[in-house]
Amino acid sequence: MKSKHFQIIGIFLSSLFGVFIIFLYATAPRSLEDLSLKASATVTKAINTGQVVTGTYQVDEKKFQQGLNYFRANDFSSARVLFDEADPEKRDGKTQFYIAYSFYRQGWGRFSSDDELFKRGLEPAKRAQTLLGGEFTSDDTDLKLKTPAALLNELEEGLRVTSDDFNPLGALDERK
Amino acid sequence: MERLIENKKLVAISPPGPLQAEEHRRAVLLHIGLPILLLFVGTLGGIRFSAIDGSIMFLAPPLICLVFAAALMILILRSGLVRLDGWISEKFSLTQNIIDGITLAALFFASVQVFNSLLPEQGVPFWIVSFCFFWTLWTNLFADLDTKKLLRSLASVFCLAFVVKYLLLANLTKPANEGWISSVINNPGQTAFTWLLDLPQFSAGTGYLQFFTLALFVIALYFLPPSIEE
Repeated sequence: MKSKHFQIIGIFLSSLFGVFIIFLYATAPRSLEDLSLKASATVTKAINTGQVVTGTYQVDEKKFQQGLNYFRANDFSSARVLFDEADPEKRDGKTQFYIAYSFYRQGWGRFSSDDELFKRGLEPAKRAQTLLGGEFTSDDTDLKLKTPAALLNELEEGLRVTSDDFNPLGALDERK
Repeated sequence: MERLIENKKLVAISPPGPLQAEEHRRAVLLHIGLPILLLFVGTLGGIRFSAIDGSIMFLAPPLICLVFAAALMILILRSGLVRLDGWISEKFSLTQNIIDGITLAALFFASVQVFNSLLPEQGVPFWIVSFCFFWTLWTNLFADLDTKKLLRSLASVFCLAFVVKYLLLANLTKPANEGWISSVINNPGQTAFTWLLDLPQFSAGTGYLQFFTLALFVIALYFLPPSIEE
């Protein structure tokens, strides 16, 4: 072996070690088990980011369908977990729309809405609006709010205190 | 051993002689061993073990460690422990310059983390030990230094800082698993010092690991040649 080969090996190993050190100090694992968990999470994230950069990112269709089944069965927390797993990079507008919708439906109440859940729904609703654009209309017959803008408006209205909130006829409103 | 080469002549290639084998060993040490060793020191320098549950903590170095390491690098260059033109030069190949640059960067990183390891994390001890380091490095900057004097000075100041942090201050820290009332009754002195000096509580394993780190740093300095060609 020539001296140059040792130099190349040295550059490669040092770079690898450098990346490992950055990973260690950035994730700060608390134990060796934690180290393997964080390593796999970092690798998954790196793969997803790579897919986003190369334009090959896709949602996990199987998990999305499972999430949709939970959504229709009114188990919104379980649905959100699966939607998040289906779209870890939050790049799919449709999935974000359903996440926002799950916050709306879970937070909706006949007499008063859950402000905390409505607030959490705002961000995915805005994200869905940005990703899908104004022309998107959902073909899901189960949903009465067909566009991200309508959903966002409903969430914002739910958070606002107006004189309509004290109208007893409001109890007759239906969940959308 | 015979091998066919491009011009279709059979030539005899002798196995590497003692001189060639020595060159290989030297290349492995300089281009692979040293940078990895220094990066390893850098990795270990920020590790502490919690006294409560023994979990690992990675502490990023405070800004002052970078200042100290920069001063140390200047001292290393001034004393001739490392000659910059002997490590990075236009007469060397690109890969040679890259690996030498990486080794010097790793030396700086290891120095930062050694200071991170030796400085107390917070409170009055942090400022006192920082001042001692600052004073030593500052006076050395203007002193007439050679390699031996620099290494002696560094060894003494590092040993002193290690003893202060991992023996003296560690023994003044109250046990982490004791509540305040029981620690005031059982160890009033340690409790008072922990409170007054704002001492962090690390497990004993931290001291062992940092001793190992310091030893590796000294070994790396020992193997560091002034010039890559020497």
